[in-house]
Amino acid sequence: MSAQAEELRYQALQQLDPAARGALEALLAGLHDESWRVRRIAAEGFARLAAPERAVAPLVAVLGERGETGARNAAAEALVRLGERALPGLRGLLAHADPDQRKFAADILGQLGSARAAPDLVRALADPDLNVRVSVAEALGGVGARDEATAGALRPLLSSPEALLRLAALESLTRLGLPPPLGVVAPLLEDGRLRASAYRALGFVEEPGALPLLARGLASASRAVREAALEALGAQARRVPPAQRGALEASVRGALEGDPQVSARLTEALETGELSVRAGALAAAAALKDPALALPVARAGLEERLAGEVAHALRQLGPEACDALASHLVALPPPARAAVGEVLVEVASPACIGAVRGLLSETEPGVRELAVRALGRSRSLEALPLLLALLSDPDLGAGAGRALQGLSAGLQVPVREALERAQEREPSPAGLRTLGRVGGSGALPLLRRSARSADPALRAAALEAVAELGADGAAELARYALADEAAAVRRAAVRALGRVGSAQAEALLQRALRDEDGGVRMAAVEAAGECGAQGCVPLLQALVAGEDGGLAWAALAALGRLRALSPALLGAAARHPDAEVVKAALEAGAPYTAEVAVLAQGLLGHARWDVRAAAARTLAQHAGAAAGPALEAALAREPDALVREALTQALGRLGRG
Amino acid sequence: MAAFDEPRPQMSPEDFRLLRDLVHAHCGILVREDMQFVMERRLAPRLEALGLEDFRAYYRFLRYAPERRAELEAAVEALTTHETYFYREPQQLRALSDELLPQLQRKNARTRRLRFWSAGCSTGEEAYTVAMLLKASGRFEGWDVEVYGTDISRRVLEAARRAEYGPSSMRAIPPEVQQRFFVPVSGGAGRLRVREDVRAWVSFGQLNLLEPGAAQLVPQVDVVLCRNVMIYFDPAARRQVLRVFHDKLVPGGYLLLGHSENLLNLSADFELVHLRTDLVYRRPEPIAPATGGRP
Ligand SMILES: C[S@@+](CC[C@H](N)C(=O)[O-])C[C@H]1O[C@@H](n2cnc3c(N)ncnc32)[C@H](O)[C@@H]1O
Repeated sequence: MSAQAEELRYQALQQLDPAARGALEALLAGLHDESWRVRRIAAEGFARLAAPERAVAPLVAVLGERGETGARNAAAEALVRLGERALPGLRGLLAHADPDQRKFAADILGQLGSARAAPDLVRALADPDLNVRVSVAEALGGVGARDEATAGALRPLLSSPEALLRLAALESLTRLGLPPPLGVVAPLLEDGRLRASAYRALGFVEEPGALPLLARGLASASRAVREAALEALGAQARRVPPAQRGALEASVRGALEGDPQVSARLTEALETGELSVRAGALAAAAALKDPALALPVARAGLEERLAGEVAHALRQLGPEACDALASHLVALPPPARAAVGEVLVEVASPACIGAVRGLLSETEPGVRELAVRALGRSRSLEALPLLLALLSDPDLGAGAGRALQGLSAGLQVPVREALERAQEREPSPAGLRTLGRVGGSGALPLLRRSARSADPALRAAALEAVAELGADGAAELARYALADEAAAVRRAAVRALGRVGSAQAEALLQRALRDEDGGVRMAAVEAAGECGAQGCVPLLQALVAGEDGGLAWAALAALGRLRALSPALLGAAARHPDAEVVKAALEAGAPYTAEVAVLAQGLLGHARWDVRAAAARTLAQHAGAAAGPALEAALAREPDALVREALTQALGRLGRG
Repeated sequence: MAAFDEPRPQMSPEDFRLLRDLVHAHCGILVREDMQFVMERRLAPRLEALGLEDFRAYYRFLRYAPERRAELEAAVEALTTHETYFYREPQQLRALSDELLPQLQRKNARTRRLRFWSAGCSTGEEAYTVAMLLKASGRFEGWDVEVYGTDISRRVLEAARRAEYGPSSMRAIPPEVQQRFFVPVSGGAGRLRVREDVRAWVSFGQLNLLEPGAAQLVPQVDVVLCRNVMIYFDPAARRQVLRVFHDKLVPGGYLLLGHSENLLNLSADFELVHLRTDLVYRRPEPIAPATGGRP
């Protein structure tokens, strides 16, 4: 076969126009191609056809072509890709006279994963053919119907004389997170063929006796069993609330401690296991508290979905392990580094300053931020000069300011004095802002001077700092700064006005509401709400229907604070093209129960999913049973899963769930 | 500053969708459904930095605040994986050295000019790796060579320009390459800087691959490397980027993707070329070439 000819057939199918006549036939022919690449591209093509449901019957027919293994598998793949559209055809196939075909139907349904197939599969558990029953039992685990009907059909199979059937049922129950009771699982642990599966099932058993049994599996000589037990431990750890984690870990430690190979085995599981096995190994490492596991635990953070588990395990390993890791930090790949860094920041102690200082000279993104945060939590005066020096760093300045604030929690006076001296020498926006938060009135002269600086960033920061200090004269300073040529300074001035509020604030804010800069207007809207500027109400009301979604949203919130909303205004907001404004109208409308319920009913048909969900929630809160029919109608036509959930909850609240 | 034992703000499924859609519209990065937890963790520091209470407030900040452009960049920054290292995917690099470079040497012998584009270059390791391969081949001394590295993130580009690297970047580099092309950073505790003659072939710039017209800044190139970038994009975004690459490649130019990536269902504009050790894509020549790709 020439590679070029194959490539041509491949490209032809790839470029096939799904609307063209003969497209279906071309794809069906492609399923029979000798090259698997061509068969695969053909299988992918059916879903693009203009009427994909028309492909179902011919695809099902291909499944019956004996001797054409490649084509049959490709047809099965194509049916899976057609999703629920293939359901009617596959249902029919479940009743086929040939058991092979019935088995095929079950396999495909399992992969297709639609819960709507569950009742058909439950019925098919009565199939006379054992192979079909096994496939059906497996498929039930894949369709994801976590209900009593499915569990009730699978559980009796656990005592079937057929080992395969027992296994399939057990696996499916575990996959669905519907394990049988401990009394049923425990004897299965003795069955060699079922042992690993039974351990996995233990992960979902909530009875207290599950844990000691599971711990036994952790020490098993068989790797498959150990990994299954680890997987189960991971599942248990996820389920247990943080407060009970200690008890879980104590009993696991008890089971692991005597085993001389345990650390090596956990290291292996951390490095090579499946994601779920690694999660369990992290839980085991947290229980074992062996500092030698620090590095393998840290490396597991490469998989970010495990980051929370990694952080927890490192915390359990204790501060020494973390200090040791600080020196490895830059050698870790970035995601793992983030997980370690998080813990490093938490456990930061005076003792770690040395290691952390080293990190400040790293150039890799993220590492220096971590170091800054750790310094802020170190409770050590040694951190002070390091942080002060960073205040003028364009990337780290703001973080250094926050870190200083954290440091000042225990060391208020020295931090404040050192900060004031440093800012006298070289003021920086981050430094001035920090003064506003931790400084005293002694900082005022410096702040006033900085408010006249040639650098607008310093002027803005100084204004905010003065307002934050709650100092006298802040209003006057802010007033004049409203005439500043730099928008950032005017914005800061408006924010300061909102904070200090003053007799004249209203008139000033009215002026700021007409500022040429959108950011200043936005800040003015928020400030008006904050300082109770009733005189701004007409201007704010005009903004609600205005084009700018941000201003309209902020105006609604401000008017709510000023108690100046009206049903008419809410109605206008509910027609705004920006979904955030519409949702804000529903929220702000709480005091107008009847009106807002009417609005919400109208919005159940809104084009945006988030508005429909918000409308459902509003109705759950404010509407009486009268809203029931509207909610039910909405649920019947709702395609979006999140919105369906909100609608179902609303119906539940109305007692119609 | 929030104490570490204070619960972090949680991201509701709804916040997740809103934020995900916003990021996706901006740069084509599609955060997978099962990554909500990861998104929550990565964006939590942004909330802290801005003093915001919850993710809904963060979403509104990204929509309305005057600083929204900069913050969107910061969010994308936090969400993208910048994981990269020298000599990543060595098999493909061997194919590049052994088979493509000799070919390019012949093809461009008249102009003695060569252009590579590392699209989504992160902290620069990939771009420098290419330059090192070109040097090591000994074929292009005295040529006019440029390797362009571009990325959406400004921060990684700063690191790329500094060209100083620690051990995590070096984990796959052959020792002799490391010896030949790096110099120790004085006082840098084991850190190494890429040698000047390699750096002279590489330049960096900021570019969102999905921003219409952004790629105008890049000239026609002989080879595009876009490895481990499009895995985060949805099919529509991938198609859009592939069109850009097609335009930027000279006819017969090569496109190198990460080893888990392919153009199935995405583009018929490229042909698959079977090299001895790897598969690569090529922009077809206008007239059907004599070689079928297989030597
Ligand atoms: C995982 S790194 C890959 C680095 C390198 N190519 C490699 O394979 O080692 C992905 C890079 O793509 C960048 N990226 C993601 N979306 C982008 C976009 N829309 N435009 C440009 N770069 C983007 C990210 O910032 C990140 O640095």
